[in-house]
Amino acid sequence: MQKDFHYYATYCAAFLAGYSHEDALKIAYSAQFVDCCSKTLLSKLRAPLSAATTQLQLELMDARTDIIGLQDITRIWASFHFLPGNLHAEVQSISPLYKSKFRMICKPNGALLSDTVELAKGGSLQAVGLAMHVLADTWAHQYFAGTPSLVINNTNYYFFELLPDGGERPVAFSHSPGSPDDPEKGVYNGSIYQGSENSIMNLGHGRAGHLPDYSFIRYKYLPAWGGYREIVKDNPDDYYHAFCQMIYAMKYLRGGLGAFETGHYDFEAAAPWETEIRAIIAKRQLIACEDWKALGEKLSDCQVEDFELEKYQEEYMSLPREAQGDSFLGRFFLAAMAQKSMVTNKIFKSGNLLAGFSVDYAEKGFRGIKDYMRLIEAVKGEKSHD
Amino acid sequence: MTNMQRAKKILAGLLMLLCSGGMFYDPENGLYIVALLLSGSLIAYGIRCLSLYIFMARHMVGGKAILYRGIIILDLGVFTLSMVDNPKLFIIFYLLGIHAFAGVMDILRALEARRYRAPSWRRSLLGGAGNLAVAIFAVIAGFFLHSTRDLVYLYAACLVYSACTQIVTAFQKTAIVYVQ
Repeated sequence: MQKDFHYYATYCAAFLAGYSHEDALKIAYSAQFVDCCSKTLLSKLRAPLSAATTQLQLELMDARTDIIGLQDITRIWASFHFLPGNLHAEVQSISPLYKSKFRMICKPNGALLSDTVELAKGGSLQAVGLAMHVLADTWAHQYFAGTPSLVINNTNYYFFELLPDGGERPVAFSHSPGSPDDPEKGVYNGSIYQGSENSIMNLGHGRAGHLPDYSFIRYKYLPAWGGYREIVKDNPDDYYHAFCQMIYAMKYLRGGLGAFETGHYDFEAAAPWETEIRAIIAKRQLIACEDWKALGEKLSDCQVEDFELEKYQEEYMSLPREAQGDSFLGRFFLAAMAQKSMVTNKIFKSGNLLAGFSVDYAEKGFRGIKDYMRLIEAVKGEKSHD
Repeated sequence: MTNMQRAKKILAGLLMLLCSGGMFYDPENGLYIVALLLSGSLIAYGIRCLSLYIFMARHMVGGKAILYRGIIILDLGVFTLSMVDNPKLFIIFYLLGIHAFAGVMDILRALEARRYRAPSWRRSLLGGAGNLAVAIFAVIAGFFLHSTRDLVYLYAACLVYSACTQIVTAFQKTAIVYVQ
């Protein structure tokens, strides 16, 4: 998904879930910031690098694909963009490594989604926004895994766009990053075929280009892992489900519901706006920011400011280290580390080492990457307040 | 990382140091060691492709391509092994290709980091310049100075760098702390 959904649609969903205009903006900002918080940005802010929630294109090109590099990549992409759907999924066993990779495939409504929402419960607005990014991406990015893998993420020439008039046409993938996609001609950018299993070109939906990120598109293809069974991806329907699930999840996070259950959607809250929402989602355009923004302003009757990457950076950098945790970005970084720590722990405990080792602080004390000391300090601080 | 993965990294690093030490000590024969190492890597890569096919890609859509690639690379590795008597060109192109690519990547990274005003751009730029310098030096030493000895020293120095990286990363803390 892109800024149109992560920022503006999240604002709309937060407002419909009962948040005020100001809080909805903070949630939306945090949801979009997940796509911006790279190690390059963190090093500029002198913030903990372990809080990275994304990797820039060139960071990826430059990333090590040894065991440490792969674990780092997997932690980032599986925790925030490709939440695994079922860490215990059964598959015809070819090898333990294949099984581990297969279990990283992202799907909506998995147990980890519940864990993500529960982690944000009682937390900051930044944690809510971050969780909404993760939730929304489970719909857009399903069937791909947040770890480099040819045998899972590859696609081939059997890739067709299903057109609104009922017809279909083959998708032509070009490999020139920077050149825009052309939905009229059916030409889209995708990562180049790379036969190495762990090549960065085989991370997530790279081989399918940005197609999973466009709300209007419907397509069918053969996923590498699917045993030649075709998958039909209906983005307009998936995006509507994502929107309604965000409303439901945020109502729970505000305290309006008793429990969060997967497979539940607040269609009722979205019903008065359904025609408009479905029209925005189905409109053939590469980015729908203006339409979602207009809807957001209609809903709240307030101006929805555009996303400004630098908005909170000065505040964070001007504070001494001890006080940074209370700043807007400080809270986001803590939420990011908590999410990464939780997802890594679940993956590790399922017997899967693709995201690396997780050490339970309660059992073994502090052992591992020292950035996480900030998270421990924050949790201890919260407990002492309670 | 598991202890086994750490041990493998340390062992690989020590082996690399041993090879580079041999090359510094006896650069004339060092050239053959380099050629053997490069051919050996191709053969190992071919075998890796074949095992990837057997254990992972057998049921993948289009997985047969990996089998064919493995066979071709393995064949190429065996072929280059028969050419170790004249390995100079082999090494020049290896050093040129690897370091020129890494250099360009580092410089692109530096430009990106600079756009973000991240201080890491200087380190990336320095790394890029270093890699490009190695690539240029390989061409000068091989084609203009005809100095086999300099080529071997260059390769050995790069090997020492890789060995140190392997050993240092083996001791890196990698675990993620989980707090409830």
